[in-house]
Amino acid sequence: MSLHSRNDIYAVMSDEEFRAQARAFIEANYPDIPRFSQKRLHFSQSKPWYMALARKGWVAPAWPVEHGGMGLSATKQLIWIEENERFGAARINDIGPVMLGPLLIQFGTDAQKAQFLPKILSGEHIWAQGYSEPNAGSDLAAVRTEAVLDGDEWVINGQKTWATLGNDANWIFILARTDKSVKKQAGISFILVPMDLPGVTVRPIENLEMHDEFCEVFFDDVRVPRENLVGAVNQGWTMAKALLGHERVFIGAPRLSSSALARLDLLARKVGVADDPAFQDRFTRLRLDVADLTALFETYIEKLRHGEAIGADVSIMKIFQSELYQRISEEMMAIGGATAALLEPFEHDPRLHAAGTYLMARPTTIFGGSNEVLRNVLARMVLDLPA
Amino acid sequence: MTDLAEIEMIRDSARAFVPPGGDLVRIRGLRFGEAGFDPAIYRQMAEMGWLMLRLPEEEGGLGLGMRAYCALAAVLGAGLVPEPLIHANLAVRLLGAGVGDAVLAGTRIVLPAWQAGFDGLDLAAGVTGAAGGLSGEKRFVYQAAGADAFLVTGAEGGWLVEAGAEGVSLECEGTQDGGHFGSLRLAGVSAERIDLIDPAAALDEAALATSAYLLGVAETAFEMTLDYLRVRKQFDKPIGSFQSLQHRATDLKMQLALLRAGVDMAAGALDAGVDDARRSALVSQVKVRAADTAMLVAREAVQMHGAIGFTDEHDVGLFVRKAMTLANQFGSAAFHRRRFAAMQPYAAA
Repeated sequence: MSLHSRNDIYAVMSDEEFRAQARAFIEANYPDIPRFSQKRLHFSQSKPWYMALARKGWVAPAWPVEHGGMGLSATKQLIWIEENERFGAARINDIGPVMLGPLLIQFGTDAQKAQFLPKILSGEHIWAQGYSEPNAGSDLAAVRTEAVLDGDEWVINGQKTWATLGNDANWIFILARTDKSVKKQAGISFILVPMDLPGVTVRPIENLEMHDEFCEVFFDDVRVPRENLVGAVNQGWTMAKALLGHERVFIGAPRLSSSALARLDLLARKVGVADDPAFQDRFTRLRLDVADLTALFETYIEKLRHGEAIGADVSIMKIFQSELYQRISEEMMAIGGATAALLEPFEHDPRLHAAGTYLMARPTTIFGGSNEVLRNVLARMVLDLPA
Repeated sequence: MTDLAEIEMIRDSARAFVPPGGDLVRIRGLRFGEAGFDPAIYRQMAEMGWLMLRLPEEEGGLGLGMRAYCALAAVLGAGLVPEPLIHANLAVRLLGAGVGDAVLAGTRIVLPAWQAGFDGLDLAAGVTGAAGGLSGEKRFVYQAAGADAFLVTGAEGGWLVEAGAEGVSLECEGTQDGGHFGSLRLAGVSAERIDLIDPAAALDEAALATSAYLLGVAETAFEMTLDYLRVRKQFDKPIGSFQSLQHRATDLKMQLALLRAGVDMAAGALDAGVDDARRSALVSQVKVRAADTAMLVAREAVQMHGAIGFTDEHDVGLFVRKAMTLANQFGSAAFHRRRFAAMQPYAAA
């Protein structure tokens, strides 16, 4: 009954009402932590914001209401993103709500849903993603981390890398090889692993922003119960693809580009080129690209909402967004003059940071499937061109 | 000795000192330190004559041309040398032999504090030298914390200001390459006005040398990337065997060839003697391609390295950061495009 009435709350609310409520909530509840931070905040810092969202029931805007989400329409999801961007709210550790939650809703057992979804919503479980390995990057299906069944337990050995904020997480989901005798995609399973177990080691990697955002995670005879497998044995690639589809919708979201555009606008005013017609032409081109991207994004949000599968064409959005984000960041470097060389934001305003934006935009064309590999996927799967 | 032999000699001596690819352990060790460079190495470089390259022989210098200077700068860029030689050379160029033996010997470091705005080559703005002394602010003084004195520039000449003099304060903020910019504030500093020698030409020469340095940075980052394309395997093949990457690597090579040709052409023209407008147009032409190419190679180097290229522990990032730091120094590509068009209006043949 309470779930239904909550459902009614957002479904019957006008978009304008929802925007006003979102704005008021953020302004009233955002804790005393940095705003407009270019670097991802660690959970130790952003936890109060996660908890504020958890108390309000706003951790998972996209999940269906029956699982504790907000069940928002595409438009309202966009509004929620826009209001967060407008305020400069920190991005929470969102791999649980954005990546794992939807996957468990689709493929998990009832027991798994009951065990894990509430703990994502409460902030008790912070998830990391264990996909890439040193020799399985673009070629993700080449993963070698191995899981062997021993009685009622999986025994896991191997190494994952580029686990975003892996040093904050207490759980990680991994792609593990469970059959070496078949085609590489056919021998992979999807397994949930607590990170506080003996044999799990995390090593942070400093990135070009001098931030330990990514981690290597090592597994040395790590034992987890058999029921931590999601889906069937050797069906992990199906789930990996579904999850990558979600990830590509997420990376394809206009959030990064639109916030970079706002930074570009501020920087242009600061350095005095905002009124230059040549700059205005370039700025408007970028702005229209963001506007069209937003329209495309909305179509994917609608598909997700109606439980439709995300096809290979989602890579169009991922490629376009990541390269648009980079183009905006490159324009910031081009107009920033001497400020573009700085290590920290200019005049301590986190938004006036051409170099930071430029560097943070780099990996978006690499992770979630490199844009080179995704162009191959589009050529084969969408354009139906020969191999 | 012929010009070419001189250029070869300086290139060889520079390479002996800064091997291709450089000593990246040294470069890493100096990053984000207080001076951002090693004064002892700076002195050794001065002992090789690198601060008196452009000083005429009759004034005790080596009397070398821009071709030799650019050859040296490209080697320094290939090794990511953080010692501010181009900047120190600018101060020497502006002051001539009057700069003093200690400066030429590298025991006294004088860096130019010429810039006040975000972009461009205006060395007049920021300070005034009224009766009450020198006042105002110069910004973005590269590696300023290592300087013993600054050559502060204004509309009617310059002033040598000791770093520790009364009324002088310096605030530094880090740059991406591990060096820093200083903001130099002057409040009624007593200093004697000095005539500057042909400041417009001196700044053009610094911009051209910076272009050559960026060429060295970009070429080395490109070589590292090619090496990676040859050895990194995905899908059971070296990624350099994939046609899309081959085409993009080829595109980078094209830009580097254009940049190298431009640097050589402009340096040769300056050595041969050209009028002021032509000199500025040529330098702008080269600086545009240097900034754009260095940034293009930097982002493609990261992309082609994949995620490892986004880590600070991989050396390719050192080259990316250097390109980011220097691309806009002595005028951004946008500034130089505007200046080129102004200096050399298009006339149909």
